[in-house]
Amino acid sequence: MTDRLKFIWPPIIIGVLVLAAWQAIVVVQDIQPYLLPAPSLIAENFFGDISLMWSTAIYTAITAFLGLVLGTIAGVLMAFLAQRLIVVNNLITPLAAGLAAVPIIALTPILNNMFSITSRTPRVLVTMIIVFFPMLVNVTRGLVQVQPVQLELMRSMNAAPRTILRVLRVPNAIPFFFTGLKIAAPLSVIAALVAEYFGGPQEGLGSRIASSAANTAYGRAWAYVVAAIITGLVFYLVTVALERWTTPWADRTRST
Amino acid sequence: MTDATQAAVHAEGIWKIFNEGQPGEVTALQDVNLEVQTGEFVSLIGPSGCGKSTLLRVTADLTEATRGTMTVAGVTPHQARQKQLYGMAFQQAALFDWRTVRRNVELPLELMGWSKDKRRARALELLEMVQLSDFADHRPWQLSGGMQQRVAIARSLAVDPPLLLMDEPFGALDEMTRERMQNELLRIRRETGKSIVFVTHSIPEAVYLSDRVVVMSPRPGRITDIVPVPLGAERDEDTRESDDFFHAVTAVREALRGHVGGAENRARVGEV
Repeated sequence: MTDRLKFIWPPIIIGVLVLAAWQAIVVVQDIQPYLLPAPSLIAENFFGDISLMWSTAIYTAITAFLGLVLGTIAGVLMAFLAQRLIVVNNLITPLAAGLAAVPIIALTPILNNMFSITSRTPRVLVTMIIVFFPMLVNVTRGLVQVQPVQLELMRSMNAAPRTILRVLRVPNAIPFFFTGLKIAAPLSVIAALVAEYFGGPQEGLGSRIASSAANTAYGRAWAYVVAAIITGLVFYLVTVALERWTTPWADRTRST
Repeated sequence: MTDATQAAVHAEGIWKIFNEGQPGEVTALQDVNLEVQTGEFVSLIGPSGCGKSTLLRVTADLTEATRGTMTVAGVTPHQARQKQLYGMAFQQAALFDWRTVRRNVELPLELMGWSKDKRRARALELLEMVQLSDFADHRPWQLSGGMQQRVAIARSLAVDPPLLLMDEPFGALDEMTRERMQNELLRIRRETGKSIVFVTHSIPEAVYLSDRVVVMSPRPGRITDIVPVPLGAERDEDTRESDDFFHAVTAVREALRGHVGGAENRARVGEV
C-alpha cells in the first residue's frame, strides 16, 4: 500500500502545482480567456453544465466504443490471416509504419460524402480504421512471436498447426492484444472526436469544442476538452482493468 | 548386438547435410552408427557444432536425416512421434506461463485426448514423483529454474513413453542444483526404467548419469568414441568421489582431447 502511494502522490502534487501556476500566471499577467482561460473559469463551465458535459461525452463515447469494437474485431481477424501469410515477422513493423503514415482522419470528408453525413456511420468508420492498425500489428506479433523451443515442444508432441494455434499462439497473443487495446482505446476517443470536426450531427465533444470556440465561449470549449480527457482516461482504465482480470499470469511482466 | 526392432534407438549410417550441393554446405552428421538398448542411459557429448543436438533432433523427427536409417523402438522416428513413443526435455523448460504447473504437465495428455479427470490424476502423480505436489496450482514463473526443469521432466514423462530425449536439460542451472537434478533423474530412471538419450556439455554429468558416453567431434559432426561407464546401477554422492568415477571422467576427457585437441578443449574440460 505504501508502495502504491509512492507512485500516486508525485503526479497529483505536480498536477496541483501546474494548475496553481497556470491560475497565477493568468491572473497576474491578466491573460485574456481566448488566449488561455484560467483553470477556475474552466471548472466553472465544467461543473456549471455537468449534465450537458455528461450527455455530450456519452455521445462521443458511443461513437468511439462502436469504432473500437468493430476495429478490434477486424484487426484480430486480419491478424489471424497475417499469421498464416507472413513468414518473416520482420515484415510486420515496416508494414505498420507505412500504414500509420496514412492520414486516416483526412478521409472523414470523403466518408461523409459516401455515407449519410447526418448519421454516426462515417465517424464510426474512421474510428474503426484508426483502431484497426494497432490491433492488427500487436495481435499478429503475439501470434507469430512464440518461443522457438515451445514450437519444437509442440511438434515433439505431434501437435497439428491448428492445435499449435489454439494451445500456444492464441494464449501467447493475449498480452499483445491488450498492449494493442491500451493504445487503441484512448485513440478511439480522439478519432471519434476529431471526426466530428468535419460536420454532421452537433451532439459530440468535437462539435461542441469547435462551436464553443467559434462563439468565443473559451471557458466552455476548454471544459469540453476536460470532458474529452476524462472520457479517454475512462477508456484506458477500463482496458487496464480488463487486462488484469483476464491475464493474471502476465502480472510479473506488467509495467502499469 | 540385439535386433534393431528391439533397441530403443537404432541409427545406421546417418548423414545430415545442410544446404547440400550449395555454397553453404555443412555436414552436421557424418555416417553415425549408434544403438541404444532398451533401458540404457546414453549421453552424447562433444564441443559445439559436433552434431549431438542434431542427432537428437533426427531421433525426435524434428529434422530429417539426409541419408541413413533410424528406428525408435522399432519404428521410424515419424511414427514414433505420432505414437508419442518418446518424451522430450530441452535446455529451456518451455513451460506455458498461462497454465498452472499441473496443467503444463497435462498438456501432452490433453493433446492425446485424455479425459479431464484422468489427466489431472496422472499429472498429480507425476508431480509427486518430481516432488512438486505443493506447487501444482502455482504459475511456472513462480518456480525456480530447477523446479521448472522438474516440471518439464514430469511433462516429458506424462504419456509414459519408453524413451526420453533430453537436450542439455540442466545446462542453464547452477552447479548445486544441477547435481541435485542429476540425482533426481537417476531416481526417476530407476523408478520408471526409461531408456534415455541425454545431450550435455559436461563430462562429470555425462559420466555420473550414463551407462555409455558417446563422444562426438565437429567439422564434420561424427562419433569418435564410445566410452562405457562401469559404475553400476546404484549411484549416489559417494560415486562422484570414487576412483572409478575419476577414471571414467579421465577416459571421456582423453577421448574428447584426442580428437579435438588444443587449448580451447582443455579450457572446456577445466571449466567443469
